[in-house]
Amino acid sequence: MLQMLSFSLVIQLLINGVLFGAIYGIAAIGLSLIFGTMRIIFLAHGTLIILFAYMCYWLFTLLGIDPYLSLIIVIVIAALLGVAIYRGLFTEAAAAEDKNISLLIAIGIMFFLENLMTVWWTGNPRSITTTYTSAVVRLGGIGIPFTRFTGFIMAFLAAGVVVVFLKKTLIGTAVRAASEDIISATLMGINPHRVNGVAFALGIGLAGIAGVDMATIYPFDPFFGFVFVLKSMISLAIGGIGSVTGALLGGIILGLIESLSSFFVPGGWTDAICYAVFLIVLMWRPEGLLVRSVKKA
Amino acid sequence: MENNSALVVKGVDVLYGDVQALWDVSLEVKKGTIVALVGANGAGKSTLLKTISGINRASKGEILFSGKSVSHLRPQEVVDIGISHVPEGRRLFANLTVLENLKLGAYPPRARQVFAESLEKAFALFPVLKSRQNQKAGSLSGGEQQMLAIARAMMSQPTVLMLDEPSLGLSPILVRTMFDLVASLNKQGVTMLLVEQNVRQALKIADHAYVLKNGRIVMSGLGEDLLADPEVQKAYVGERWRKK
Amino acid sequence: MRNSGLTIIGLVIVILAFAVVPFLVDTESSFIVYFLFMAFCYITITQAWNFVAGYTGQMSMGQHAFFGLGAYTTGIIWLHNLTHTGYYFDPVTMILSGLVPVVLAILIGIPLLSRLRGDYFALGTLGMGQIIQVIFVKGGKFTGASDGLHLPSTIYSSMKPYYWTGLILAIFSTAVVYFVIRSRIGLALRAIREDETSAASRGVHVLGYKIFSLAVSAFLCGICGSLYGIYLFHINPDSVIKLDWTLYPILMCVIGGAGSVTGPIIGALFMTAVFNLADIYFVGTSPILAGILIVVVMKFMPSGLVGLTERLAFARKKKAS
Repeated sequence: MLQMLSFSLVIQLLINGVLFGAIYGIAAIGLSLIFGTMRIIFLAHGTLIILFAYMCYWLFTLLGIDPYLSLIIVIVIAALLGVAIYRGLFTEAAAAEDKNISLLIAIGIMFFLENLMTVWWTGNPRSITTTYTSAVVRLGGIGIPFTRFTGFIMAFLAAGVVVVFLKKTLIGTAVRAASEDIISATLMGINPHRVNGVAFALGIGLAGIAGVDMATIYPFDPFFGFVFVLKSMISLAIGGIGSVTGALLGGIILGLIESLSSFFVPGGWTDAICYAVFLIVLMWRPEGLLVRSVKKA
Repeated sequence: MENNSALVVKGVDVLYGDVQALWDVSLEVKKGTIVALVGANGAGKSTLLKTISGINRASKGEILFSGKSVSHLRPQEVVDIGISHVPEGRRLFANLTVLENLKLGAYPPRARQVFAESLEKAFALFPVLKSRQNQKAGSLSGGEQQMLAIARAMMSQPTVLMLDEPSLGLSPILVRTMFDLVASLNKQGVTMLLVEQNVRQALKIADHAYVLKNGRIVMSGLGEDLLADPEVQKAYVGERWRKK
Repeated sequence: MRNSGLTIIGLVIVILAFAVVPFLVDTESSFIVYFLFMAFCYITITQAWNFVAGYTGQMSMGQHAFFGLGAYTTGIIWLHNLTHTGYYFDPVTMILSGLVPVVLAILIGIPLLSRLRGDYFALGTLGMGQIIQVIFVKGGKFTGASDGLHLPSTIYSSMKPYYWTGLILAIFSTAVVYFVIRSRIGLALRAIREDETSAASRGVHVLGYKIFSLAVSAFLCGICGSLYGIYLFHINPDSVIKLDWTLYPILMCVIGGAGSVTGPIIGALFMTAVFNLADIYFVGTSPILAGILIVVVMKFMPSGLVGLTERLAFARKKKAS
C-alpha cells in the first residue's frame, strides 16, 4: 500500500480532511456557544443539522431553490428555532444545578426529531444533485470538489462573522462574559436569558449553515445526526471550549484524522479511533488540547 | 418611611437548602454614608450582600431601596436601579480586556449613555487602568484587579456601592490605599455598604457599623463607638491595634 | 410490623398473579403475555439504571452497550457450544452473559468514573457505547459483522419459559435494588449521590463504590440482554446495541421516579403500555413519543411520578400542621 502512496494522493487526503472538517468546526462552534453560556451539552445539535439539511433538500427538490440561495432562508429559520428551543425548553434547565436534566432534554429532542424525520421522510439517505455538485476544481493536479470548497469558504466566513460579533458588539462581549462567569455577568446588569437566547440563536444558526453544507456534500439520513454531534464534540474537545478559532481548528484536525485513518487503517475502524480519541481527551484534558489553562480573576 | 435611607433591610431570613444562614437581619444604610458590616468568616456577611443584590432570595423579610421593595428583583434588575455589588473575590472577566470589563460595567442603558464620561473619570482615578486598558484582566496584579473591580462597579452609576472584602489579599500599603479610595468615593456622594474582615480599618472610616455573628446582627452603632468597644476589640481586633 | 406483613403478602399475591398468567391465556398469540414479557425486560434494565443513576447518582448512558454485550455473549456461547448444555434457558450461559458486561464496566469504569462527573461521565459512556457498537460490526465471523448472529429458532417451543424468566429477572433486579440499598453499601452509594466530597472525607471509598454500582448495573443489563437475545434469535447491532435500550429505561425510570424501588416498575409498566398502544394505532411512533415524553418530564417533573406523590403528601402534611 505504501508503494501506491504518492505526493498528490497525500495532499488529496489532507485537503479532503480539511474541507470536511470545516463542517465539524462550525458545528463545534455552535456547541461551544451553547455550552459556554449555559453549560449544556446540546446533543441534539447534529440532528438539527440534519433537519436543516432536509430543509435545504426539500427547498431544492420541491421548489427548485438553489442550495446556496436557500442558505439565507435556512439560517433565519434556524436562528429563530434556536431562540424558540431555548425559551420553550431550556430556561429552567439552564439555571438548574443538575446538568443531567438538560442533557436528557437534548437527547429527547434528538430522539424525537430523528424518528419524526424517519416517519415523514423515510430513512433513505438523501443528497442534492445540481449542475455543480459533481464539479471539481483543479489546482495543480489536485482535484477539489467544488461543493466541498464552497462549504469550506462558508464555514470560514461564518466563523469570522461569529468572531466579529463576539468581539465587537456589546451583546457579543456580554456572551463572552457570561460564558466565563454568569453570576458576575448578572451583577453587571446582563440578563442571562438574553445572552442564552443569543447563544442559542447563533449556535443553531450555525447548525443551519452546517446543514446546507452537509446537504451539498454528503449523503445524509435522519440517524446520522447523533454520530455527527459526537464527532463535533470530539472537535470541541480537541480545539477547546471558549474559543471560536479553536473549535474550527479542532474540527479540521478531526477531519484530517478521519481522512488519513480511513485511508491507512482500512476496514471502517475510523469511527472507533475517533471515539477513542474522544474518550482520551475527555478524560485527560476536557478543557481542550489547544487551550492554555484559563486564569481566574 | 425614612427618607434619608438609601437601603433598608428588614427582618431578613436566608436559607441555603435546609441550612439557615441569616436570622432576622435588619440594617439601614443612610444616604451618603459608609456602613460597615463586620464579623468572622462564615458569619453570613457575603450572604447578606448577595441577598440584597438578588443572587440569593430571602425567605422572610424585605429589602427596601429608597423606600421601594427590591426583595423580588433579579440581579440584573438590581443593578439597573442603582445598587452595584463587587463580590467576594472580585470576579472579573479574566479573559476579557480591562476596557471590555469596564464596558460591561456600564451595561445598563442609563449607564451606557454616559459611558464615555464615566470611562474618563475611571481612567483619571486609576491611571494604571488606562495604561493597561487592552490587557486581559487576568494579567493584572492583585491590587490592580481590585481597582478594576471597583472602577467597573462604578461604571453603572450606582447610588449604593456594596463591596465584599475589598482588602482581601492585598498588601498592607494597598489596603491603606483601598480604604482611602472607599472614603474618597464616598465623599463624591456614593453611599457605601462595606463588608470587611479587616475590622479596624473598616470601623475607622465607617459612619455606622453592624456586627454579624452566626447569621445574626449582634451589635450596631457608630463606627467610632464600636471601634472603642472592648468586646469588639477582644473578638475582632488584633492585639497590636487594641486601644488600652 | 403489621404493615410489613401485609406488604409481603400483597407482594406474593401480585407475583403469583403474574406467574399464573401463562396458564390463563394462549401464550403464543396473547398480547398480554408479549406485553408483560417486554415490561419485565424493561423493568430489569430500568432497575439497573435506577441502581447506578437513581441511587448512586452516576448518569450512565451505556446500558445499551451492556445489554448488547450480554446478548452477543449468549449468542457466541451458543453458536460455539461453549457450555455444552444445549438448551436455551441455561443459567450458566445467562450468568456468563451478565459477567462479561461487568468486565467492561470495570475496565471502562476505572478511567471514566475516576475522572468524569455528571454529564461529562454520561458523554463518556455514550462514547463507549459507540466504540462497542463499532467493535461488534467489525468483529468479522466471530460476531457476524453487521448481519449479526443467527441462533437456530427450531428449538423454540413456547413463550412460557421466556415469560417466566423475564418475571424472575424483574423480581431479581428489584430485589437487588431493594436489599442493597437498605444495606450499608446502599448507604454509601446514596452518600456518594448526595455529596461525593463529603462522603470521601468520611472515609467512603468513592471510586470503588461507583465501580461496584456500575458493575451491578452492567450485570443486570447483561442478563436481560441474554434473555432478549434468545428471544430474538437474531442478534445484530441494530437490534441490541441501539440507544433505545438506554433511553427507554431512563424515560421509564424518571417517569416512575428515580431513586425509589417501585418507581421503575410503575414507569416500565406504564410506558410499555403506552408504547404498545401507540404502535398499534400509529406505527413507528413510539420513539417519537419517547422523545417528547422525556422532554416533557424533564421540563415539568424532573423527579417523576413518585416524586410528585411525595410532594403532594408533603404538601398535605404541611397544610394539616
